[in-house]
Amino acid sequence: MSALTQAEAARILYEEALLLDRLDFDPWIAMYTTDCIFWMPAWRDDGTQTEDPDRELSLIYYKGRRNLEDRVQRIRSGFSVASAVMPRVSHMIGNVLVSDGDGDVVRVASTFIVNVHDVRTRRNHAYFGRYEHELRLDDGAWKISRKVIRLMNDVVPTMLDIYGI
Amino acid sequence: MKPFALHDLVDDRPHDGVFRVARTLFRDQALFELEMKHVFEGGWIFVGLATQAENPHDYFTSFIGRVPIIVSRDGEGELRCFVNACPHKGVRLIQKVCGNARRHICPYHSWTFDSAGTNRNIKWKKSGCYGEGFDDDSHDLAPVAQFGEYRGFLFASLNPDVPSLEDHLGEARKLLDLIVDKSPVGAVELVPGRVTFTYAANWKMQLENCSDQYHFTSTHPSYIRILEQRAKEESAQVVKSSIAASEFWQEDASGVTGGTMSFDHGHVLNWGVMPVSAALPEFEHAEEWARLHGEAKRNWMFNMRNLTIFPNLQIAENASSQIRVIRPIAANLTEMQTWCIAPRGESDEARSFRIRQYEDFFNPTGMATPDDTVCYEEAQLGMAAQERPWLQGHARGLTASVEGGNDYSDMIELRPARSVLADAQLCDESLFGSYYRAWAQRMSEVLA
Repeated sequence: MSALTQAEAARILYEEALLLDRLDFDPWIAMYTTDCIFWMPAWRDDGTQTEDPDRELSLIYYKGRRNLEDRVQRIRSGFSVASAVMPRVSHMIGNVLVSDGDGDVVRVASTFIVNVHDVRTRRNHAYFGRYEHELRLDDGAWKISRKVIRLMNDVVPTMLDIYGI
Repeated sequence: MKPFALHDLVDDRPHDGVFRVARTLFRDQALFELEMKHVFEGGWIFVGLATQAENPHDYFTSFIGRVPIIVSRDGEGELRCFVNACPHKGVRLIQKVCGNARRHICPYHSWTFDSAGTNRNIKWKKSGCYGEGFDDDSHDLAPVAQFGEYRGFLFASLNPDVPSLEDHLGEARKLLDLIVDKSPVGAVELVPGRVTFTYAANWKMQLENCSDQYHFTSTHPSYIRILEQRAKEESAQVVKSSIAASEFWQEDASGVTGGTMSFDHGHVLNWGVMPVSAALPEFEHAEEWARLHGEAKRNWMFNMRNLTIFPNLQIAENASSQIRVIRPIAANLTEMQTWCIAPRGESDEARSFRIRQYEDFFNPTGMATPDDTVCYEEAQLGMAAQERPWLQGHARGLTASVEGGNDYSDMIELRPARSVLADAQLCDESLFGSYYRAWAQRMSEVLA
């Protein structure tokens, strides 16, 4: 018996998606533990992804919420042309499955599609793949202690930031 | 009748102190088709690293211009390069990006080839009632006209009529040495994990940007601020920063902070002084390298160096190390294939430090490259302007550019064709001239 029901786990994922859709980054960051891992592996070849972030390249790899704050700071800085005209995004999450977990830690698998309208160029992109969340009971609240983003379409048109995945 | 005149595209008048490039060069699709044929399919092109096909029967696939190719190590251990197309109906023989196979069977009609490209079977040949002349054609995979290696860097040309690879690379070979000699076993390798992105602008935007010191503090202030914070914070949680520990890009730095060098055939280097310090993953080797290679060469191995081997290879060595391969798709669309390149045999700590800095700086999902690629696209929009055909972006440094090298290049007996020694605010653009002269050379057949 997992400490979180399927519905409770899904609700946490949906909340995160909504905050990203709204580009509401402060409460989004607050959903993570301070020692969280935020990881989007790269692809090694046609069919396998990188597995060891210390020996292989990732698209994004952070150990510590502090680094997510850096990302948000850059987006808001007013000095990043890639963030000057913010894209509009919409996250869809499906196939939510609480895979395992006990007590204070629960692992949740899901699929995602993020539709992105790049306002600057008037182009639309869809990024899709799978999420693997690890949720941890932290001071009485469930926080994200690890998120793996397995991006399937990894040929990036121009740029891709944290709100697009 | 030649469709374009060089003087409408590149205004190269050194005696009048003028070097200008026309917007057409970035915009015109007909010109782009000629570039594919003459620049990319008409001369030496970087195709990959020997370590990408390390063992017998290993292969990887790529493109030379628009032509699909295979680089394969045959059963004897020799590297070969073929057009990735079955001689029968032209079908692309291998679809995978890399793998290992003794035999390659065409998916369409089962013609079969070995890892040396030799045809091993034509299905039902005996009962095929072929005419007499059929075997006058070779049924093997077509080898590229020229294929060569310099210290693990593989180059090929579809045009047989090119200088030797040694001549093509010339003095720039010494700059490849600085990269390879970082490895205790004399080999560079790609860190697993390839990153591909596209941008909606001309390939020459990327070509220039790699050698463009002028943009760094303008395009990347949001990233620079984060690097500075991280350098101050020194907490275990933040990604460590090498760039913040150096001065070459800081506007108030005094004295020579770096410069540029240009070489024959379009190769250029943009460099900056980086201290030999623990801020770089290589620091663990500082003393050993001084002993092995001498202090001057060791110091050069620590310097920031952005090297272009014209027209499609760029190697950026600064906080981390990146290899970029430029693949033009259309006049206004480019694909970039990028890898973290690393000396084989470095320590686990150095490797992980190299990778962490790489991701934030170089990835299209990081904090610096997106601000570059968005600028390329904005530039592409501006290239449509007709009323002022000439750009003004190739003029800085013209009066600082001297023939030959300088004290810094002399230290490692490097002999560039031209060089500029710069303070932090000079930010030479005259080195781009080398690109366009090499471009004009390759395009000479079709330019009036």
